[in-house]
Amino acid sequence: MIIDVLIALGKIAVVLLVGLGLGAYLTWVERKVAGHIQARMGPSVVGPFGLFQPIADGVKLVTKESIIPRGADVPVYYLALILALVPSFLIFSVVPFGPSFTVFGREIKPIISDVNIGLLIVFAMGSIAVYGTIFAGWASNSKYAFIGSLRKAAVIVSYEVVLGFAVLGVILIAGSLSTVEIVNSQIEKGIWYIVYQPVAFILYLFCMLAESGRVPFDIQEAEAELVTGYNVEYGGMRFGLFPLAEWYLNVVGLSAIAVVLFFGGWSGPHIFGPLSPYIWFLVKTFALVFFTLWLHWTLPRFQAKDITDIAWKILLPIALLNVVVTAFVVYLFS
Amino acid sequence: MPWISKEREERIKNRYKDVNIIRYEHAVSFEVGKDAFKDFLKYLKDEEGFKHFVDLTCIDFPDRDERFQGVYTLYNPDYNERVIVKTWAHNGRLPTVTDLWPGAKWGEREAYDMFGVEFEGHENLKRMFLWEGYPHFPLRKDFPLEGYKEEELPSLTEVLAGREDPPSHDFELVHTKIATLEDIERTERARLKKKAQLVLNWGPLHPGTHGTIWFLFDLEGEEVVQCDVILGQLHRGMEKIAEHLHYFQFLPYTDRMDYISAICNELSYVQAVEKLLGIEVPEKAKYIRTMFAELQRINSHLLWLGTGALDLGALTVFLYAFREREKIMDIIEGNAGYRLTTAFLRIGGVHYDLAEGTLDVVKAFVKDFYGRLKEYHSLLTRNRIWLRRTKDKGIITKEDVHAYGLSGPVARGSGVPYDLRKLEPYAAYDEVDFDIPVGEVGDVYDRYLVRMEEMVQSLRIIEQCVEKLEKLPKSAPYINKKHPAVMSPKQDVFHDLEDMVKNFRIVVHGEEAPPGEVFSSAENPRGELGFFIHSKGDSRPYRLRIRSGALYNLSIFPKLIQGGSIADAIALLGSLDPVVGETDR
Repeated sequence: MIIDVLIALGKIAVVLLVGLGLGAYLTWVERKVAGHIQARMGPSVVGPFGLFQPIADGVKLVTKESIIPRGADVPVYYLALILALVPSFLIFSVVPFGPSFTVFGREIKPIISDVNIGLLIVFAMGSIAVYGTIFAGWASNSKYAFIGSLRKAAVIVSYEVVLGFAVLGVILIAGSLSTVEIVNSQIEKGIWYIVYQPVAFILYLFCMLAESGRVPFDIQEAEAELVTGYNVEYGGMRFGLFPLAEWYLNVVGLSAIAVVLFFGGWSGPHIFGPLSPYIWFLVKTFALVFFTLWLHWTLPRFQAKDITDIAWKILLPIALLNVVVTAFVVYLFS
Repeated sequence: MPWISKEREERIKNRYKDVNIIRYEHAVSFEVGKDAFKDFLKYLKDEEGFKHFVDLTCIDFPDRDERFQGVYTLYNPDYNERVIVKTWAHNGRLPTVTDLWPGAKWGEREAYDMFGVEFEGHENLKRMFLWEGYPHFPLRKDFPLEGYKEEELPSLTEVLAGREDPPSHDFELVHTKIATLEDIERTERARLKKKAQLVLNWGPLHPGTHGTIWFLFDLEGEEVVQCDVILGQLHRGMEKIAEHLHYFQFLPYTDRMDYISAICNELSYVQAVEKLLGIEVPEKAKYIRTMFAELQRINSHLLWLGTGALDLGALTVFLYAFREREKIMDIIEGNAGYRLTTAFLRIGGVHYDLAEGTLDVVKAFVKDFYGRLKEYHSLLTRNRIWLRRTKDKGIITKEDVHAYGLSGPVARGSGVPYDLRKLEPYAAYDEVDFDIPVGEVGDVYDRYLVRMEEMVQSLRIIEQCVEKLEKLPKSAPYINKKHPAVMSPKQDVFHDLEDMVKNFRIVVHGEEAPPGEVFSSAENPRGELGFFIHSKGDSRPYRLRIRSGALYNLSIFPKLIQGGSIADAIALLGSLDPVVGETDR
């Protein structure tokens, strides 16, 4: 019993530390990628290849003076931070990083909790995360922040629906909501679900960008109109936490889920020895993350009403059609 | 400038007997009495086709009873003719012309702000640049250049040190008035009465406004119900300064108006003065001017492209544009010695001959730039998101172009081929071959395409200039130093007594200008930049009016944005492309 708890705590610690470290170092990756896309160097001064830049940034953000605007709703102001950060971490609780293995006769699953409603947790966390944005906009007592958070709310409401229907196709084929089961069924069938569900994958990509507030859906920030929108009144590390949660943890989490749903999770040829499932999983995830970064530094941004327009008028009908067709096919062939 | 033709003048004279015609070579004006004034303007607009509004200003003659003279510049786009109408104010009042040309709204407010002339019938006659409650009218002749010193502003360090008297520093404690927070609040309230849910402020400092403009948006949700603009944060009173300087001394000030296209500003100003003084410019100088003006135009359009795309979230285009801008800056720096505020042109020519190797660098740049333009096109032009953000947004009709006095790419985006390089060729524009791109719909996207194509046309012009300059001998003169009002180049001054004496005389006494009037304008990247000079035969202008293209282009913004969202506002503002240094002057 105690050992189970310890193992669980160990897994949580690993995911947390890796998650935070990844988040910090993704800022470096993003700046390097952006730099090379934009014909410049990116960070290069602090440490070799600028590798210590995230640490320098972290020190700077942590040591900054805390400024809370007059008239701000202070408890909600802090609650917003928690509500932004915690759900993006909780997504990782249902991400399976590899197949189970046995140590000293004890089976260990490299997933924090293999619940049978894993995907529902992902959706739930995505919906909760929007409260962080809304609270931040409301509590800041600033018009820019307020408008930014309202835009985000509108986007999330519409894309939650599309996301749910898009993923339904995969669930129908796999016959399970558990992330581990979905990966296993793909390995059993020997095929990735992107082959069966290409439309669903594209819809998922849209929703992923919208949920994480990446270009072309970064309307809640829109630095030209709203001066970075909902987080404009936050300073220091409080300010740093929002992009960490939204831009990095959310993107990595949702990419990992995409890999689970469409790219066969950890499956792949055993060319890296015993570590190869984990390496495949990370490679696939970061390929998707890189794709997101690439889009971010290439495309302009949509307008708020266009985004909701696209969601309700184009994406949702396609998603519904996809679900109906998938259901028919699954029914006929099983 | 092609001014009003003799036949038309005769026809008008027959109809209005008591109209007084003053004909100078570069400005033809009708002086109209107060009673016939509105009727005369209506006639000019409706029947003679002078429907394009160019400019409105006042001149102060303190020794006359009526004192203020209103000066209206109009343009006939069908026959390419221009005319000035003048009328005297009665008891400091003039009738408004906003019912004929809504573009006069801001012009009248500016005249009210600067001269205290009241325009009867104006819908919201508030100060344009200065704050509500400012007691003086700066462009009046009795207002001293340094202002009235009436407010004590002690040094902060002295106050903190607790020292009272005498001040340890050698600077004056009494200054001209500055706006207090209450003043600014009063100004804000005077501009916009809140009707909808919330008033969103953009500015005075805001990343989307490209300078210190202050926008007020009255929002219903994200929809803009009404909007107004508060200008003046960068107002330096250039017109007042010009009245106190010799003609050559004002040149560096023009750099600081539209600081992104300094050489184009200089070109416009230098031409106005050359017309007034009757100076011929050598051929080489003409081509150097044209080439650099076009380089500057590309430079300016690149800045517009970069920031415009940045506003719509395309971050990478910004840095790509700046990469190419840097090359142009380098060429300019190598020739003028400065990057931004160049002071490169001189009255009668240019400051320096072409630096060694300039033409090779320019050729290399042109060759490279065609490919770069393709890169920008591939990033934006067919991009679905870009189209969605720009198509059918902020449509300007042809009528509005004329009524608001729009010019530059903003006018051409709406299909009005109003390009002074063709209509009134200056410098070497009549000897080079180029086309004027025009839009069809007049939306943000058309203005984008027009500017992109203008860069290609600029490249064509530059290529032809390079070709010509390569043929010209190195010894060809680049400044017309024979003219008595043109300063000789520095190296001559050190070797030639006559040149030294001439320069000494000009520096001390200034150029002697004949009495007269000149209205001269040039096609700037941001529209028509005009200089109206009223000379009384002194070495300083009696009145120098700067007609800013950016100001008139911006004046249609509050109308266009009604019913749009604030995301449209940013796209629209980017497409109008104002520069605050020029709107405020």
